[in-house]
Amino acid sequence: MDSTTPATAGGFEPRITAFVCNWCTYTGADLAGTSRLQMASNVRIIRLPCTGRIDPMFITKAFERGADGIIVSGCHPADCHYNAGNYHARRRFAIFRELMDFLGVDPSRITFSWVSASEGAKWRDVVNDAVTRVRALGPFTAYRNMVVVQATAPKSSSPEHAGEGEGLPMQSLAADGVAPGASKEVTA
Amino acid sequence: MTELRELARRLLSEGTVNAVLGWEEGPRGARPAFVTTPDGADRLIFDHRCVHNLASYLSPRRPHLKRLGKVAMVLKPCDARAVAGLIRETQVPRENVVLIGVRCGGVVTDPDSDATLSEATVADRCRGCPDREGKLADHTVGTAGPGFPGPSHRAQKIEELAAKPADQRWAFWQAELEKCVRCHACRQVCPMCFCDRCLADKTQPRWIESSPHARGNMAWHVARAMHLAGRCVDCGECERVCPQGIPLGLITRKIASVVAERYDFRPSDDPAVPAPVGTYRMDDPQEFIL
Amino acid sequence: MSTTTFIRTGDLKGLVADLRAAGVGVAGPARTSDGAVDYRSITAFDDVVLDAQPRNSLKQFFLPPTEPLFKYQRKGSDVAILEISATFPPRVIVGARPCDAAAVDVLDHVMNWDYKDEPWFGRREATTIVTFACPGGDRSCFCTAVGLGPDATRGSDLLLVPAGDGYYVEVVTEKGKRLVDAYPKRFGAGAGVDATLSYREKARASVEGHVPARPDVIRQWVQEHFEDPFWADISLRCHGCGGCAAACPTCHCFDIVDEPETLTEGTRRRNWDTCQTSVFTAHASGHNPRADQCGRCRQRVNHKFAIYPARFNDILCTGCGRCARTCPAGQDVTEILNRIVAMATGQGGAA
Repeated sequence: MDSTTPATAGGFEPRITAFVCNWCTYTGADLAGTSRLQMASNVRIIRLPCTGRIDPMFITKAFERGADGIIVSGCHPADCHYNAGNYHARRRFAIFRELMDFLGVDPSRITFSWVSASEGAKWRDVVNDAVTRVRALGPFTAYRNMVVVQATAPKSSSPEHAGEGEGLPMQSLAADGVAPGASKEVTA
Repeated sequence: MTELRELARRLLSEGTVNAVLGWEEGPRGARPAFVTTPDGADRLIFDHRCVHNLASYLSPRRPHLKRLGKVAMVLKPCDARAVAGLIRETQVPRENVVLIGVRCGGVVTDPDSDATLSEATVADRCRGCPDREGKLADHTVGTAGPGFPGPSHRAQKIEELAAKPADQRWAFWQAELEKCVRCHACRQVCPMCFCDRCLADKTQPRWIESSPHARGNMAWHVARAMHLAGRCVDCGECERVCPQGIPLGLITRKIASVVAERYDFRPSDDPAVPAPVGTYRMDDPQEFIL
Repeated sequence: MSTTTFIRTGDLKGLVADLRAAGVGVAGPARTSDGAVDYRSITAFDDVVLDAQPRNSLKQFFLPPTEPLFKYQRKGSDVAILEISATFPPRVIVGARPCDAAAVDVLDHVMNWDYKDEPWFGRREATTIVTFACPGGDRSCFCTAVGLGPDATRGSDLLLVPAGDGYYVEVVTEKGKRLVDAYPKRFGAGAGVDATLSYREKARASVEGHVPARPDVIRQWVQEHFEDPFWADISLRCHGCGGCAAACPTCHCFDIVDEPETLTEGTRRRNWDTCQTSVFTAHASGHNPRADQCGRCRQRVNHKFAIYPARFNDILCTGCGRCARTCPAGQDVTEILNRIVAMATGQGGAA
């Protein structure tokens, strides 16, 4: 399926959070919009002053709250508004990417790019690429469902999450009694 | 040992320092000692059970130790890397601490061990350790065995894990992180975790869920790994103290190898070498960036 | 209750199989993937390891490290509370140590003090504790100094002591009797109490004398020496990691947090907490009444040996020695108590 095609009924549409710098990529994304470029609508942009301001915790928090994929994007090398923020970010995210890979998170859920203020078309491509890739990977329930609490009262979960209860590591561990901490949730 | 005790006694009796941080024989093996009188210097020991990284006690976030005033610290070559880190990050003024280096040929993993030091019992971090004495020390005492060659079992385990499919790595870490009860012992003993207020203790905003479920634990261990990237001195204290037996050294060591490969940085006892995170090169590799 | 019976080792294996077949959860001390022994779910009695003290205690079976209390949903200015199903399936713990079983009973006081803790007592009622008399401890064990012992029955429903080709069984509670009555074929005649005496004596001898059995002396000294330099002295090596509290069978403090899942809903949880950290007592103003580790080390001893006894006439310690074994810096509770007794009885001072 072409990434710009609207979601078909029942098909999985990934939610992607983009953390972008104010000076280059945000302006580039704005250019993509004002140029009326067609692109996937799965991305929610969070604007930050600089990629140097993007803490890896933003990414884990986004996964916690339901993101299936992440885009981190900022100014090309030598273009940073603050001279070196993107250089610092580049080292940090090189390490972060390897860490997530080592912990078993597919690194292709996280996209890093340099998109300048004039690269509206590149932003479109980055977005469409990321959406296609993450759509193929499926929802990242494994992350947010590391803890799942079922309420007995009227509604069990948020509407978007309803029915996404597959692959609950904590509960399966508890049932098998594999991990010593398994009793954490045994009776809850 | 006599050399160490005599030096400590002299530093204390001459008033050079108010206390000497070293090791003593405790009820359950070797343990950290705080000697404040010249006669107390006879309590000091150093042998292969002195596994603790005493540099944690130099951390400025320990107000109850500040009242000791100027201290001398007995340090192994690996501990010297931690002290160098604290000096590099301006946490400890070099002139505020007297460093008594002890020559070291390796330690075991358990301070309460009655095992002799051997290929079978030596701590993993000592395998392949090239340092018999720390260059940072003001005084160097003792003698050392030849040390132990590699390879490190942990490095092998990391390679095995990295070779597995991602879902198996995920399952492995889920089972391990599930065990964490968030006592934060790994943070407390870490010589490089010196923040006055840890990110994990902050509530506005709450970046790291404080509950010890796998998701909160994942956020905590990701944050810990990232904050120690290029700073971890691989002293192995986090893994040793974990009451749940989580192999935390796999994570820190993995990150250390990434930093070594990408940025050619290995923790040393030279405080003048800049840390790799917080510095950069214009031509750093960026093969992962579109 | 003071009836006794006997169970052969083969029947004990059968009993665990019977319980599992009946859908009852069975837990006991068993080997973990990292080679340690933990209390955990077991599938057969053969998994049970009896010759090592488990790394964890029984605490987590009644007060889990993290536990959801309820979910909440905000709608405008309204908040809806969604209950979480709180059913506690029956469970039998086979192979508890007397110190760990006693700890659960000690905690019943505080869990039923100003408020009856429903999840705690829900799990208490659903759980039968089958304790095995301890084979003996190491140098950090001191259960006899706090009124217990390697064959103490406190907190247990059944106490098993090795004898002959099986175990001499003391039926301690009604709940224990129900278990015996439910599986009558598994229990029967066998060796009597006399056959257990040498085992009991040997175990007792291995833990006695590590700390003087003078809890009143300790309590009084602690109450009267709040500002003693002793506390500053012992706290020097403390990292404030709280590993002692996590391992402790009686440390029970918890924190309550709201964890949002989305902008409008989330879960309220309670999580283990410990007085050994600075944030435990940090005020919103920034003031912290326990400014450094001295006060925190004192609090641990004070709560266990003075505050809890004053409130409930019971010691918040069962002498298991886990805090000494787990401490990364070699802090040792037996040493602390010995020094307190020595100071209190005029036989020594702060070193």
